[in-house]
Amino acid sequence: MTFPKPLLFFSFLLFLLCSCKTEKQTDSENEYLRWVGDIEHNETTDKPGFRICNGEEQILQYFNLGAGPLYPEEKSTLLETFESKYQPVETNDQNGFIRIRFVVNCEGKADRFRILQADKDYNEIEFDERITNQLLEITKGIESWKVMYRHEIPVDYYFYLIFKINDGQITEILP
Amino acid sequence: MKKLYLLLLLIPFSGTYAQPNCEAYKYLGDMVKYEACKKAMEIKGHYQFSKEYQTILDEAIKIDPTFDYPYWAKSVAYLKSGDFVTWKKLIDKAVALNPKERLGYRGWCRYQFFRDYEGAIRDIEKLDSLVTYDIGQSQNGTYHLNIAKGLCYKAIGEKEKAINIIEEQIKLNEAEDFIGAYDYLHLGVLYLETNDPEKALAAFKNQTEHNEVAENQYYSALAYKALQNQDEYKTGLQRAKKLYLEGNKLSDPYSSPMDKIFLKDIEVELEAAGN
Repeated sequence: MTFPKPLLFFSFLLFLLCSCKTEKQTDSENEYLRWVGDIEHNETTDKPGFRICNGEEQILQYFNLGAGPLYPEEKSTLLETFESKYQPVETNDQNGFIRIRFVVNCEGKADRFRILQADKDYNEIEFDERITNQLLEITKGIESWKVMYRHEIPVDYYFYLIFKINDGQITEILP
Repeated sequence: MKKLYLLLLLIPFSGTYAQPNCEAYKYLGDMVKYEACKKAMEIKGHYQFSKEYQTILDEAIKIDPTFDYPYWAKSVAYLKSGDFVTWKKLIDKAVALNPKERLGYRGWCRYQFFRDYEGAIRDIEKLDSLVTYDIGQSQNGTYHLNIAKGLCYKAIGEKEKAINIIEEQIKLNEAEDFIGAYDYLHLGVLYLETNDPEKALAAFKNQTEHNEVAENQYYSALAYKALQNQDEYKTGLQRAKKLYLEGNKLSDPYSSPMDKIFLKDIEVELEAAGN
């Protein structure tokens, strides 16, 4: 049994449309976790021994404690770390923003690193891996982050670094 | 009289950050927007990062996809979590639907969270071209949007333009007796960076009277250093260190403000001063 070509094409088109719709609905409506940006444990990429001290439902955002962005020492030390370790990739087509977001636990240890990348117009892209791998490794190499407290109890919190990249070089590190 | 009621109903729309007055839509006969607005107001009591908050706003958007408020409200959590991709998609929708109310916010956020100087300038200047009234303050109230625009021009190297913009806005702020928390400091730093330490010191003195912070004394010290006044240079640095350790310094709950210094900066300079 054979189908006429126009019917096959129409069926394929219908299949494509249905697939897109399903994916869109999943992304925008049904996949909210507890909070926007929550990072679930991924056993293939995350450290097995990393401990969330106060439970997943108690992980805060860094700004929830009102102390602003806090760094292991001062931000100047973090800037020096990247300045000394990052080797700029000589290219003029690597521009935009790279965010590395992660969880800092009650002991100041970090894990669950995730990367988000965009061009200067905020469109999602993928940077040259020579850039992202370096940024990720340097970030992972920072041994301890600031321990933050709520009511004198050390908490787990989300923190991130945003790297502004211009021609393969870091021009700013935020926040 | 009808016009007066209408004016009173519309007043809540005038602030970028105010919640919408749903009754105004009802009064204007836009029942779809009224229903969407009522739905959106169910976010009250939910944390803006939460599933519940986001889901309610999705439902409001379903009722009226042309209502800017839920897109804006949804975007905030993405902004604060540094998700520039999702934030930008949502805030762009809000801006497209209501540019006069949302452009200033988007411009400020581009600056505050992503140091997207060119984008912030574009948004603030676009807003300025669309309205005849004052374009207003940054979301956090720290700066008039023109001061923020001046800081963006400074960041892209156009310092003379930045000075002109900030000087002009400070004059207006002084006339209104509504000076931003760090206006004089930023102006003083710009003077210092363009080799005018005397004018810098005058601005720093104004900052001292208005709101003293470690940065103000630190940059004052550098101005005195440029004027070869060694005593004031050292004294300024000592004051800066004291203020810094007391916690009187530039701060922002989400980011590191422009012209912020670190303790190490003061200590390096103190060592250079021979202390």
